[in-house]
Amino acid sequence: MTTRTLARATPYAALLPMALVAVVGYVGAGLWTFYLSLTASRTFPSGAFIGLAQYGRLFDNERWMLSLHNLAAYGVAFVLASLVIGCLLAAAIDRNVTGEGVLRTVFLYPYALSFVATGLVWQWLLSPGDGIDGAIRALGVPWFRLDWIAGQDGAIYAVVVATVWQASGFVMALVLAGLRGVDPDIWKAARLDGIPVWRVYLQIVLPMLWPTLATVLLLLATAVAKLYDAVVALTQGGPGLASEVPAKFIMDHLFLRSNVGLASAGAIVLLVPVLALLAPYAYARSRREAA
Amino acid sequence: MGATRRWLVGAWLCASAGTAQAGPTAEVIHWWTSGGESAAARTVAQAYRAAGGTWVDTAIAGGEQARAVTINRIIGGNPPAAAQFNTSKQFLDIIEEDLLTPVDALARTGEWDRTLPAPIVDVIKKRGHWYAVPMNIHMQTWLWYSKAAFAKAGIARAPATMDELFAALDRLKAAGLIPLAHGGQAWQDMILFSLVLSNQGGRDLYLRVLRDRDQAAIRSDAFRRVLVTFKRLQAYVDPASPGRNWNDATALVITGRAGLQIMGDWAKGEFIAAGQAPEREFGCQPGVVPDSPYLIQGDVFVFPKTDDAGQQAAQRLLAQVVDRRDVQLAFNRVKGSIPVRVDAAADGFDACARRGMAILRDPRRPVGVAEVYLTPDQNGALQDVVTALWNTDMPVERAQNSIAAALRY
Amino acid sequence: MNPHTIVSTLPAPAAPAAHQAPGAAGRARRRFTPARIGLYAFLLGAALFFLLPLYVMVVTSFKGMDEIRQGGIFALPHAPTLDAWRLAWSGACTGAACAGVRTGFWHSVAIVVPSTILPILLGAVNGYALSFWRPRGAHVLFGILMAGAFVPVQVMIYPLVRVLALAGVFGSLPAIVFVHLVFGLPVMTLLFRNYYCNVPHELFQAARIDGGGFWRIFLQVMLPMSLPVLAVAAIMQVTGVWNDYLLGLVFAGRDHMPMTVQLNNVINTTTGTRQYNVNMAATLLTALVPLALYFCSGRWFVRGIAAGAVKG
Repeated sequence: MTTRTLARATPYAALLPMALVAVVGYVGAGLWTFYLSLTASRTFPSGAFIGLAQYGRLFDNERWMLSLHNLAAYGVAFVLASLVIGCLLAAAIDRNVTGEGVLRTVFLYPYALSFVATGLVWQWLLSPGDGIDGAIRALGVPWFRLDWIAGQDGAIYAVVVATVWQASGFVMALVLAGLRGVDPDIWKAARLDGIPVWRVYLQIVLPMLWPTLATVLLLLATAVAKLYDAVVALTQGGPGLASEVPAKFIMDHLFLRSNVGLASAGAIVLLVPVLALLAPYAYARSRREAA
Repeated sequence: MGATRRWLVGAWLCASAGTAQAGPTAEVIHWWTSGGESAAARTVAQAYRAAGGTWVDTAIAGGEQARAVTINRIIGGNPPAAAQFNTSKQFLDIIEEDLLTPVDALARTGEWDRTLPAPIVDVIKKRGHWYAVPMNIHMQTWLWYSKAAFAKAGIARAPATMDELFAALDRLKAAGLIPLAHGGQAWQDMILFSLVLSNQGGRDLYLRVLRDRDQAAIRSDAFRRVLVTFKRLQAYVDPASPGRNWNDATALVITGRAGLQIMGDWAKGEFIAAGQAPEREFGCQPGVVPDSPYLIQGDVFVFPKTDDAGQQAAQRLLAQVVDRRDVQLAFNRVKGSIPVRVDAAADGFDACARRGMAILRDPRRPVGVAEVYLTPDQNGALQDVVTALWNTDMPVERAQNSIAAALRY
Repeated sequence: MNPHTIVSTLPAPAAPAAHQAPGAAGRARRRFTPARIGLYAFLLGAALFFLLPLYVMVVTSFKGMDEIRQGGIFALPHAPTLDAWRLAWSGACTGAACAGVRTGFWHSVAIVVPSTILPILLGAVNGYALSFWRPRGAHVLFGILMAGAFVPVQVMIYPLVRVLALAGVFGSLPAIVFVHLVFGLPVMTLLFRNYYCNVPHELFQAARIDGGGFWRIFLQVMLPMSLPVLAVAAIMQVTGVWNDYLLGLVFAGRDHMPMTVQLNNVINTTTGTRQYNVNMAATLLTALVPLALYFCSGRWFVRGIAAGAVKG
């Protein structure tokens, strides 16, 4: 083999592990899950083929429908809040404040804690009467109410509070890494031109950060789809079924309810909007790259 | 104790005769991870070591996680020697896949047909073979009350009928206390529901709904009234109850801020840890109505099938040890549950436990909890409806229809 | 290949040597403007909100159970005690054994080190190949990985158990490292790919003109200028693997159970009494490793694209 052919083969060879993982791991698992969703598997995967019956049962299931609805509401609120707060924090820290290292750790540390115990703390904090709610009222604001976690409609937003607390520090870290790549000459030029700082951020820096923000959005979206730990730790999907989410539905049916067939159907259904979103994006990218 | 010592020595000799150095190694998966549970697990581990075995402890908190690991280990070809399950249909599928080693010999010598309560026998005996060694009995719907709170509300004695229960709750409310300490989690809502179904609906209706899944019984007027009473209880819990852990609710009763709690007999551990004693600071009562069904559940050990001879020897030894009367007594005393054999001796158990053991001897009282009769999926579907009824203003008729649908298959 | 020669063929690059933060030139004058005060007020307020749960955790860990039962989560402890911390580290029961979370610490370290290095390296190589070399069909693979990143982990457990059992490594350290690799690769690849897309393509062209091959360019040009994204990737992966519970539980085998399993055993007892002070102390102990990493990662968030690329 000539050096040229070797050189041309190297990128392919380097990507081989990724290809293996993608094909064997993800495609293989996806196909197997789809196969299981067509069977009547209970505790163990079985071969009893029953067609699309599990999907019928799935969409007949009030808990599943509620979990999809909750995921949508949660997704929008969580992504918006994390993005805005994370960007604000990153911009603030980037302005050469003293104690940057300490501040960065303060905002990032929630990401280090797993929800196993922080869930309990947030339960206490969001508990009507005993937590933040009662404390602020005791401080002299008698009309303040924070009882989302006890209500049917507000429970999922209580989860938003706790997860935004955890995630915005990480968004801040990513945006900060991106901001640090911004050419400082821009600031000089902007000052010379007399453009106010906030306009520089909004109209110049933000568009420059688009790749970073795209990454952040994608990561936040994956976190939304996989939301499980926080719900289990904070509300166990309650009160009642108010904060049920698809990942919890799937997990409960996989192990607790010994219904692998239904869980697999749920997983496939969860994957469909993702594929629907990613497919046109990938197609557009490949068209752009080919052009 | 002489017989036990001889037994011990015999077991030791058998074990040491078989192998040269360390006795058979048994890895046990269980979810007894802290406090009284952990101490109870230690009694079993120590007994097994004394019998010559080596105990490898794989503790995983949370029954669901532990069971998930057990099942994955079985699939992965690396099963533990023994695994904990509840007395329920959780391991029915594993039996049907022929993945468990039966323990028929133990059942014969221990006369389990005669000495175990009927609901337990139904769960561990399938097609004539016995597949699990039961360890203990927990009762799900004890009524725990604070004597101080009752005194403050002017309640003379614990309620003995459902009407008296509501009267007591009203008095507690009037006295400014939290009438019913409740943690708003789905399984706790189920406990309240089971209380009302067993105490108001009675044993017959309870079994027809949960064991037979009789559609007529579910759609009956009696069951509708059970659901109405269940929902009525919701007016007596405090606004912070959704999502609360069961022991935080018990803490309310311990500190006298709440009047009573409906919880399993594991709640006793919290009272004792806070330095309180039964009939002194708190009272315990199995349900409300004197002859109410005694709702039992328990823990068992199962033994996954294996080709490894060493593993099989470990399983045999472990099954023997775990089934011994003295081991079970020691285990239960520490855990706060009661022995599963109806003829077990009552010394060393506190007043609440002794009451439970006496009731267990009456063959008409013990009845399984919902999990004993329903598959995990059916139980889960029922729980979904019950907790939705508790938390939303769903009309009772709709709940009734949903339960009928959930238990149809 | 000399980095200096690359620079000479570039258009005027960013000048980290002139290392000025926005607004730094006028700092002396603008010290106490309302904008500056507002900035610090915002940061302080946000910091207080972020620190609130930590405060509750620390305060609870120093209280006795009687005090906790009374309620009042914000109150300082009446009689602070270190008992909970001692128990959490070496005495809390996590099963029949009562040795606290200490035993899992080294298992977690043994899992985290390979599970961080491997995915990061592979992710960096993937991102580099995808952004600059763009072999045919690679974006399809990348799309598959991206779709896979949305799938809840639990769904993949059965297939992975089967595959690893077939390979005979189920329940061992290589198994858990492999599993973390599978789940970490999509995000790592995404991070590096998007970062490298932002790097000027001219840099790469120049390096190729200079005669650099796939690996030389990667190791000598791209990797050194990836420090910010390496920091972020390390933070993500260390946190994800250190705090992982379910995967370690299923795949690590009984000899390598991570600290989180012990932590969960301490906290989530089913019917045993719960000692909240010990739970809080145990959680804080478990979080020390990621926290230490975050605090030390500051050096990596340097301004500028490359340390040495613009000296010439």
